[in-house]
Amino acid sequence: MEMFLMALCISVFGLGVAAAAFGAATRSESSGSAVQPQIPVVKAVAPTRFFSDSVVVPPVVVARRVPIEALLLQIENHVRMEQAAAEVFIAFPTQARLHSKTTSPFVN
Amino acid sequence: MNHELLNGLSSAEAERVLGLGTRLIVPSGTSLFQLGDSADRLFLTERGRIRLTLPIQVRGREEDVFVEERSPGQTVGWSALIPPYRFTLTATASLHEAEVIALPREALREYLAANPAAGYRIALNLAVVIGHRLQLFQTMWLREMQRTVEMRSV
Repeated sequence: MEMFLMALCISVFGLGVAAAAFGAATRSESSGSAVQPQIPVVKAVAPTRFFSDSVVVPPVVVARRVPIEALLLQIENHVRMEQAAAEVFIAFPTQARLHSKTTSPFVN
Repeated sequence: MNHELLNGLSSAEAERVLGLGTRLIVPSGTSLFQLGDSADRLFLTERGRIRLTLPIQVRGREEDVFVEERSPGQTVGWSALIPPYRFTLTATASLHEAEVIALPREALREYLAANPAAGYRIALNLAVVIGHRLQLFQTMWLREMQRTVEMRSV
């Protein structure tokens, strides 16, 4: 009999706790929706590509807002810097000079 | 003026070769030749700078992109001596007007055939010019390939 009463008490207590938790959860949900700003839906911009899991965006694409004249100037400076690097390699060819890192902002 | 194409020739020989040509003034921004044009003349730069460009697509527009610049003494348009005799770049005078000596292919070939010693020197000089361009762009191409490989390996 004592065991039965103990089990009954524990069950009633558990039910109470569950009811309180449910009430708290539903309250916070309804009040939260009134305060929080709506999260804009972000659309995927990258096109679907076959055989490609990770699409690397080249720096040129990132710099799309650069005026075209400035972009052409960047390309010219890049070509000049690469020619200078190539001239250094041709004058004294080593693997280190061939693969020396460029400081050209066009590709960095 | 020492022209790279005439290195090793006596001054008299060099004068004779230059005498085959015509002096041209190229105003700033004016093209000397366009990509795809028939290449019947070779040019020796006397004054100013000649920009060599190639068209590429930039944001859907065709733009001439800088490839190389030739200074006084340097040779422009060696496609005139190499089949199929079509220019593979566009050449334009840079910020200031340029002056070049235009050597007609046929006149030059006739002179070189009649003067084998001078022809030998000029052929060697031309090989140096073409070889340097090849080495330069081979190196630049490899460096770009290396960057592409590194980008794709990330």
